[in-house]
Amino acid sequence: MSGPRVNNADLLAPPVVQTIQQRSLVVGVVFAVMSIIGLLIRPGEFFPAYLLGFMAWLGVTLGCLAILMLQHMTGGAWGLVIRRILEAGTRTLPLMALLFIPLLFGMPKLYVWARASEVARDQHLQELTRAYLNFSGFLGRAIVYFAIWAVLAYLLNRWSDAQDNAALPDNTHRFRALSGPGLVLYAFCMSFAAIDWAMSLSPHWISTIYPLIFLVGQVLSALGFVVAIETILSRYKPMSELLKPDHVHDHGKLILTFVMLWAYFSFSQWLIIWAGNLPEEISWFVRRLNGGWGFVGLFLAAFHFAVPFVFLLSRQFKRNLPTLMWLAVWLMFMRVVDLFWMIEPTFHEQLRVTVWDIVVPVAIGGFWLTFFFRNLKGRPLLPLYDPHSREILEPAHE
Amino acid sequence: MDDRTDDVTVGSAPVIEPGYTFATVTDKISAIVLTRPTSVAWLFGFGVAFLLTMMMLYAIGYLFVRGVGIWGVNIPVGWGFAIVNFVWWIGIGHAGTLISAILLLLRQSWRNSINRFAEAMTLFAVACAGLFPVLHLGRPWLGYWLFPYPNTMKYWPQFRSPLVWDVFAVSTYFTISLMFWFIGLIPDLATLRDRSGNRAAQIIYGILAMGWRGSARHWARYETAYLLLAGLATPLVLSVHTVVSFDFAISMVPGWHTTIFPPYFVAGAIYSGFAMVLVLAIPIRKFYGLEDFITERHLQNSAKVMLATGLIVAYGYGIEAFMGWYSGNRYDTFLLWNRLHGPYHFWYWMLLVCNIGIPQVLWIRNLRSSPVWLFLISLDILVGMWLERFVIVVVSLHRDFLNSSWGMYYPTRWDWMTYIGTIGMFLALMFLFLRILPAISIFEMRTLLPQAEVKPE
Repeated sequence: MSGPRVNNADLLAPPVVQTIQQRSLVVGVVFAVMSIIGLLIRPGEFFPAYLLGFMAWLGVTLGCLAILMLQHMTGGAWGLVIRRILEAGTRTLPLMALLFIPLLFGMPKLYVWARASEVARDQHLQELTRAYLNFSGFLGRAIVYFAIWAVLAYLLNRWSDAQDNAALPDNTHRFRALSGPGLVLYAFCMSFAAIDWAMSLSPHWISTIYPLIFLVGQVLSALGFVVAIETILSRYKPMSELLKPDHVHDHGKLILTFVMLWAYFSFSQWLIIWAGNLPEEISWFVRRLNGGWGFVGLFLAAFHFAVPFVFLLSRQFKRNLPTLMWLAVWLMFMRVVDLFWMIEPTFHEQLRVTVWDIVVPVAIGGFWLTFFFRNLKGRPLLPLYDPHSREILEPAHE
Repeated sequence: MDDRTDDVTVGSAPVIEPGYTFATVTDKISAIVLTRPTSVAWLFGFGVAFLLTMMMLYAIGYLFVRGVGIWGVNIPVGWGFAIVNFVWWIGIGHAGTLISAILLLLRQSWRNSINRFAEAMTLFAVACAGLFPVLHLGRPWLGYWLFPYPNTMKYWPQFRSPLVWDVFAVSTYFTISLMFWFIGLIPDLATLRDRSGNRAAQIIYGILAMGWRGSARHWARYETAYLLLAGLATPLVLSVHTVVSFDFAISMVPGWHTTIFPPYFVAGAIYSGFAMVLVLAIPIRKFYGLEDFITERHLQNSAKVMLATGLIVAYGYGIEAFMGWYSGNRYDTFLLWNRLHGPYHFWYWMLLVCNIGIPQVLWIRNLRSSPVWLFLISLDILVGMWLERFVIVVVSLHRDFLNSSWGMYYPTRWDWMTYIGTIGMFLALMFLFLRILPAISIFEMRTLLPQAEVKPE
């Protein structure tokens, strides 16, 4: 390296981040107050909405963790340029762990297997609650999941922080060594978390691909989020100088890949269950394709897959950040719709969007973003002393 | 995903050893075909493979005379070796398309030295695979009934059956792979035409090179065509084995009807495909002295792909077993018990050892760069993936819903002769390929040389 021409202070997040952080906090507080009203007057509607909001924002946090580990494994400028955004995203994990606690209080409202009266009437539920789906198991497993994610996030963030100190020796190899097993652990924990927190809403129903839809969805939400954030940051220094169309292009390609993977997994799940048509399996889809929910399903097929897919095929579209940003934000929204379609039909036979389905996810999002932006401005936006940073600071001639 | 980046991160092995020029690369690869004498080892290897092919033809001939009764298939196991081997071979084929198309789109230039023979491997593996379902038809000469065509029999395929989708998936796959392989060969065929001293070879290579002169316009069109074909071939990597997995998952047999099957089959296919790439690449680089072109880097990257896809396969086994237990469905629970403790339990445990246990040593970096170890682990994976298909097909079928219909499946010698015979045919075709076509893409290797890099202005 021909001696850095920049220093860490030049790479700090722009002041606009502070403004957004404050506004997010205001939104969070206002909507949280409304949510508490919801909890008091409509607990039966509040908790499903809370689960929706929790799963949606947990998806962004863990999606950031997954992409972070993926970029440590593959290398490449596309990942380095967004690494600090991803890291800030993973550091919201303590908030998500805290926000998990209310779910414990909502368990009887949410899960059939947590209601003694229903369990007493159902032999399978009795066996299942004895062996697996019970309060201590639910809590114990959640502690394990969060502990593992937290260790991964903590180490990756701490080592990355150490990189900002030029005096310390190069530690890049450590990221790789952790990220391989880390991805395995993440996938393992999140699969069982998806079973515990979402699939067990219908405890008689199983689908072996279901956890994978969550994994892919989380990465997709995080990609959408990152593209939205890099759009804001790219209007100001230093991101305006760091982010190149090639990086955006790569982000667009990743979004396309994960849109296709989501569609592939979701379609496979539907086709196999539809063709088998077994009562214990098809019931999940019967509920979700009737009573108005079918329109949500079609909406997902069209706007979570078909339309974004067509747009993302275009090279110009993927390289143009302002247009890609709209699609990215749209896909974040569609992730919430997909979760809504998976979670909410458990509680209502007819399509119904309660006011809490909007209020509670926004409240959680407000706090999430507050934390995120606080994390983001804490560190330079590029790990300057990472050996690959020169590729971004001094790009090769094209 | 830039190559320069990867060089720094990997730090050790280059994709091509230093000291080569455009001319020496061309010399070294084309010499295998043009100037080197046919070695005794080649003749011996080809001879053995050819004999095995003859054995297969004998087994098939006898099958035509006597019918599928000579095989071990019967009720309840109607899908025996034929389907096991079909899925195994199709899976092996997947690495070729992955390497040639997906890695091309991902700008992974290390693929350049292994894509050619990986594609050839794909074609030969698909050819072997395609034999089995046709032979399994019982009346293979009526195989064309699988295609929808206007006829006087008022006959039309059942388009809701995944078996019909298979016909289209596999034939499309073969066609696109062949096109991709052939188009990739054209510039090298022209090189062979120009360098060959033999008149007959000049004419044959000349015809195949389709008038290639290497003009700038040729290259521009060529690059476009190649990229477009890569784009077309990419979805096929997923679609073919997805459709194969639907053959099972669409049914209601416990052990077959599970939603994880599509991605899990695709991962398993790539897993066995890369294992076969290494099983072929390691001896080839040794015997033809190609260690400078197929370097430690290729071995390491292939090993990483195997490790990753192997973990996805392990995830598939794990989630399937967990859900079987969690669902409390008596048939699913029984299936799990039957795999672990039933009459075929030895093979299930072997499968777990071969596919999940042993390959975990690939986490060790030193093993990932040791050709001998990688060769052995790859063989182990090929065995494991064959056992996986055996367990899926036979163990799921032999004890279904009714105790009275349970039975056992024993392959006959005709089953074994056909299976081992296809391995012979596969190897015979590979030997011929090595002898008459450049096994490594000459022109793509030249682009890896430092001289080929575009200099900044």
